[in-house]
Amino acid sequence: MSETTIPAMADRTQQRNWLPLAAIWLVLITVPIWLPYVGGYNALASRVLVFGLAAMGLNLLLGFTGTMSFGHAAYFGLGAYGAGFVLRYWIHSTPLAMLAAILLGTAAGALFGALMAKRTGIYFAMLTIAFAQICYYVAYSWNSVTGGYDGLRGFQRAPLHFGPYIVNIRDNGVLFYYFVLAVFAICTGLMAMLLRSPLGRSFIAIRENPRRTRFLGIPVERHVWISFTISAFFTSVAGGLYALLNNFADPTALFYVISGNIVIMAVMGGMRSFWGPLIGAAVFVTLQDYISSMTVNWMSFIGMIFVAVVLFFPRGLLGFIGRRRRA
Amino acid sequence: MESTPTPGVGRRTLIKSGVALGAMSLAGPAIIQARGETPVKLGWIDPLTGSLSALAQSEVEGAKYAVSVLNKKNGILGRPIELLVEDSANDVGTGVAKARKLIDRDHVNMIFGDVNSGIAYAIEGVTNEKKIFHIVPGGHTDEITGKDCKWNVFRICNTTSMDANAVTGELIKHYGKRWYFITPDYAYGHTLQAAFIRALKKHGGEYQAAMMPIAASDFSATLIKARAYKPNVLLNNMGGLAQIDCMKQFVQFGMNKQMGLGGALYELESIKAVPPVAQTGWWDMEWWWNQPNVPEAVAFVKAFRAATGKTPSARHWFGWVAIHTAKMAAEKAKSLEAIKLARATEGMELPPDVALQPGKVFYRAGDHQLMPNIFVGQVHPPKGDDNVFTVADAVPGASIWPLADTGCHMAYPA
Repeated sequence: MSETTIPAMADRTQQRNWLPLAAIWLVLITVPIWLPYVGGYNALASRVLVFGLAAMGLNLLLGFTGTMSFGHAAYFGLGAYGAGFVLRYWIHSTPLAMLAAILLGTAAGALFGALMAKRTGIYFAMLTIAFAQICYYVAYSWNSVTGGYDGLRGFQRAPLHFGPYIVNIRDNGVLFYYFVLAVFAICTGLMAMLLRSPLGRSFIAIRENPRRTRFLGIPVERHVWISFTISAFFTSVAGGLYALLNNFADPTALFYVISGNIVIMAVMGGMRSFWGPLIGAAVFVTLQDYISSMTVNWMSFIGMIFVAVVLFFPRGLLGFIGRRRRA
Repeated sequence: MESTPTPGVGRRTLIKSGVALGAMSLAGPAIIQARGETPVKLGWIDPLTGSLSALAQSEVEGAKYAVSVLNKKNGILGRPIELLVEDSANDVGTGVAKARKLIDRDHVNMIFGDVNSGIAYAIEGVTNEKKIFHIVPGGHTDEITGKDCKWNVFRICNTTSMDANAVTGELIKHYGKRWYFITPDYAYGHTLQAAFIRALKKHGGEYQAAMMPIAASDFSATLIKARAYKPNVLLNNMGGLAQIDCMKQFVQFGMNKQMGLGGALYELESIKAVPPVAQTGWWDMEWWWNQPNVPEAVAFVKAFRAATGKTPSARHWFGWVAIHTAKMAAEKAKSLEAIKLARATEGMELPPDVALQPGKVFYRAGDHQLMPNIFVGQVHPPKGDDNVFTVADAVPGASIWPLADTGCHMAYPA
């Protein structure tokens, strides 16, 4: 866990500050204690982490490499199906389900990324949507394997076995939350290390000035492809967790609406900050959960909030808070 | 350039006010009201948005009406009933998430839903895992009370096989044995079409079929294929808005002059939404309001119209029956525990003022399926207020869907 408490902001202008980081982890670790008192529940907290991880994964590409993807639902959904296939058709093992989620999502990301990396701007973004929609229609149409529109059912996440010890994440929502948190911690730790490595610095260089980066001898297209693949890796982990959370996978997880939601989370929270997408996911998922109980027009409220954030806080909620603190 | 102070409300004030207003609205959901007695919480999940929304809203209206009636009659076990309604948005993943929310956050005592068979089927997995009593008011796919039946799940609407078996004879008698299906590509459509094909093959018929997305709106290519096949009858198996769009295009193409129209369900909500020329064909109604020989039905229709200004449809009746089933089961079991509720509901017969139709209407113990009459008849343009259907026959459900055919092996937890 200590690995994950390294401040991950790659922004040179920001001073290292451990207090906000400690606060974030303290809040996340104590969720099951305080959440019921504010009207929440464990599955909601797990969903925030799952979408937070997906948005942070996308943000590696969007916020730190400066490349837009409107098709990350593909890797999220393939992750979900990968986990579901293992549990439904092969073996009752959560670690193997997660491994399959990662393999399926990352392999698709690497393949699609290789085909798209030489395109830039709107052409790149359009291709990401197109590949995601291909995945969606395959899942929708392949009834005998994916369950079609009705989704892949009939599986459950399996308890974790550590020698003689069994952690029952299947029946215990709190233990499952901590399982999701542990995976989230490992992923954010890896992301933080990556962003502080020379490879991560080269991503930021591409974001800041791709032409100058190319003149420095860095193969921009290859680095965009690497960033895309790593981004798909983290998003597929989130997708695998999503399938375990719901004990279910369906084509909607591959649909462009999910891609759009993940982008909204990243932008709303602050795509130039490491933790911004998590904040965006927390706001989005929580508002969705509460407002959709009150009105069927809940997406209008999310839309209005998104517009307000873009207009008034162009660096996202966390970017705004950070600027206020520095001021 | 110096900025000049702006008179009136500034941007910051506006933002702060907006946030404060938002927080106030989030603090207390309007549907939850404080009451002296701990209410019995019923969680209702239906696609209030999307292509099946009209049907879903009728179910919810029926349920709300039943809650208002029963809350005046001592609620459930002497406690008031609180109905928490969630929108599944016609999306399976959202439906599953809403089921978990109602169970984990709101601690509901029972779950009801969903119109969409695929969502109902998926929610069944959650309620079974969480051991919550679950009534499916309007999701038709056979498996819910068939090979995937669960001890905690009961269903009010018919199975697709019941609907197909009830109307097949009339379709063959009035049109012939060459059929073309337009069917939605999800659980409901798959089992409905399979049931029709089974029944048609028994009579030596032939068919072609097209599977369409559940929310399809353009049927032109499919209708051209249908016309080329020259069927005796087109079976429009779509639901909600998709069925309405298909009907309108069928008429626009002039196909109503070339073939008959029919199928399993053409619900009051959909019939009212199409032009009179598309109000035709032989269909099933799962409950029909115009039963002058059933005094309980006459009284119900009168009271419902007075309360809501609407003529009750089968979907309203599903909502009515669902809430009454919850009350009757709880009072028979003297408990809200899922296993006791399930045991109490098995074999339970609906009283006449709930069944609102002739004959015995009961939950069959072997598959937890309600066994009502299926009203087979002809749809036509209105002959008076909402009188768009003439019943030719009321077929008892149990007579056309024997338990042995369901594939259900009911197993309770140890």
